[in-house]
Amino acid sequence: MVVKVGTQKEIASKKREGLFAPTNLFGYFMILPAMSVLFFFFAYPLTFEIWTSLTDATLGNDAKFVGVDNYLKLFADPEFLTAAKNSVVYVSFVQAGKFILGLGIAILLHQKLVARGFWRAVVLVPYAMPGFVAFMVWKLIYNPDVGALNIFLTKTGITDVPIAFLGDRTWAMASVIFATIWRGFPFWAIMFLAALQAVPKELYEAAAVDGANAWHRFRNISLPGIRPVILIVFMLSTINTINSFEAIWLTTAGGPSDATVILPVFAYKGLATFQIGESAAAALSMVPVAIVIAIFLLNKLKKD
Amino acid sequence: MLTLVAIFVLFPVYYMITLSLRSQSSLWSKSTLLPVDSNLDNYRAAFENTDFKRALLNSVIVCGTATAIAVLFSVMAAYSLVILKFKGRDTLGRIIIIAFLTPGALLFIPLAVIMANIGLSNSLQGLILVYLSFMVPLGTYLLIGFFRSLPPELEEAARIDGASRLQALWMVLLPLVAPGLVSVAIITFTGAYNELLYSLVINISPEMRTVPVAILNLSVADEVPWGRTMAFSSIAALPVMAIYFVGQRFVVEGLQTGSVKG
Repeated sequence: MVVKVGTQKEIASKKREGLFAPTNLFGYFMILPAMSVLFFFFAYPLTFEIWTSLTDATLGNDAKFVGVDNYLKLFADPEFLTAAKNSVVYVSFVQAGKFILGLGIAILLHQKLVARGFWRAVVLVPYAMPGFVAFMVWKLIYNPDVGALNIFLTKTGITDVPIAFLGDRTWAMASVIFATIWRGFPFWAIMFLAALQAVPKELYEAAAVDGANAWHRFRNISLPGIRPVILIVFMLSTINTINSFEAIWLTTAGGPSDATVILPVFAYKGLATFQIGESAAAALSMVPVAIVIAIFLLNKLKKD
Repeated sequence: MLTLVAIFVLFPVYYMITLSLRSQSSLWSKSTLLPVDSNLDNYRAAFENTDFKRALLNSVIVCGTATAIAVLFSVMAAYSLVILKFKGRDTLGRIIIIAFLTPGALLFIPLAVIMANIGLSNSLQGLILVYLSFMVPLGTYLLIGFFRSLPPELEEAARIDGASRLQALWMVLLPLVAPGLVSVAIITFTGAYNELLYSLVINISPEMRTVPVAILNLSVADEVPWGRTMAFSSIAALPVMAIYFVGQRFVVEGLQTGSVKG
């Protein structure tokens, strides 16, 4: 910190340390556009949604305040309970899959010394592909008549009858989970790779001298080294995955018979039938999860 | 091992392209994973399809405009949060992070109602405004990371040399965060381009559709014209993927700076 002798002007401005001091005003001026966007398209809609969730609003009708009726109705609605349960299953398996695949591929790339840039580009492909395209392609791959997976399975004689992966209750959830992992794992792999490369090499050399084997080096050096990155990637990606409307809507639209319906899809279907109050309540039921994650991340960022 | 990874990652892209070159009758008569009966009919159909061309134009207009605005607003906000020391800075920064962490699917209902109430449903302007709601927090979050990675004395030094705040920002700080601007532009642009839910609920009329909705609407009930859908999808995906790979360095740097140093 440089110690400066205050000029007259600076001393004067020190005296006016209120909200309207010049530095404060310039700060507010620069952040004003972003804050206006957030006020009109985040804070206001959020307030509006909370209010709506407490009314019996349907499209075109005046809303009447009904208290927590919508929430009570929701928790008695079997489809909502299925959607909530499916969301938990979907997010957990997707995140576990992305973690394992992401870490595994990051370790592979980390060891690869030749053409690493090329392989990193290959791994990025699913992430670069627009989501709506990726999930249409997976819907095609799973198709019983013309899909690659069924062509492969019947040609190799693994199964005689094609499987309707997205139309069969036994397979639908696992199939959409797999497609979501495919599309999302590159983010994890790339972040983990960068974190692995940032772990100081001397640590490994010292451990090797001490006779630690590969597993011990991974367990005691690599893993603690990339732990902060794992945490952040995990949280950011979890929020994205809770949000995966398109992954479900484009492949199964929630079917067969609600087998893959998750909360955003449930809320969207509610809006399509004009039950705005109830849909708003359903959408808001995603908030507790998001809040837990947000608090986690805020604390993490503060520590750094 | 890496070969397996490559097959896993690249097969869907390969399948999309081979099928985009085949007719529906070829798909049904020959079940094979190899490219057969290849022709450009589906692509020709795409370029003769006015709805699809309109959707491509809509997407470019909406995403291009929204990206330009989002980058500008995000730079201003990130600069002010990192460089300027003003009262209430921490609270405002926290609000931006909360908005960044809010799943988009949370707000599509009120946003659809609000847009209808102010007469901006079924308009490109409405979609631009709605997209800013997630692009600005995302851009600001990423750029905070880039501004933080600059040496803090830099701005002060420029000011001591007689530069005003804006001159210091324009001539000293911005050139240094330029890679960040590129990465934010690519990440927010693709985020908007890929967006389906808002577009689906806010722009219902066919002439205001964006690309994802147009492709979804190729299917009638459960009947998907696969060859055609894959051709349209390739046209929609390949330019964006090209941008991604040309700007790969920036994208990766953006993701890392935002998540690790941010």
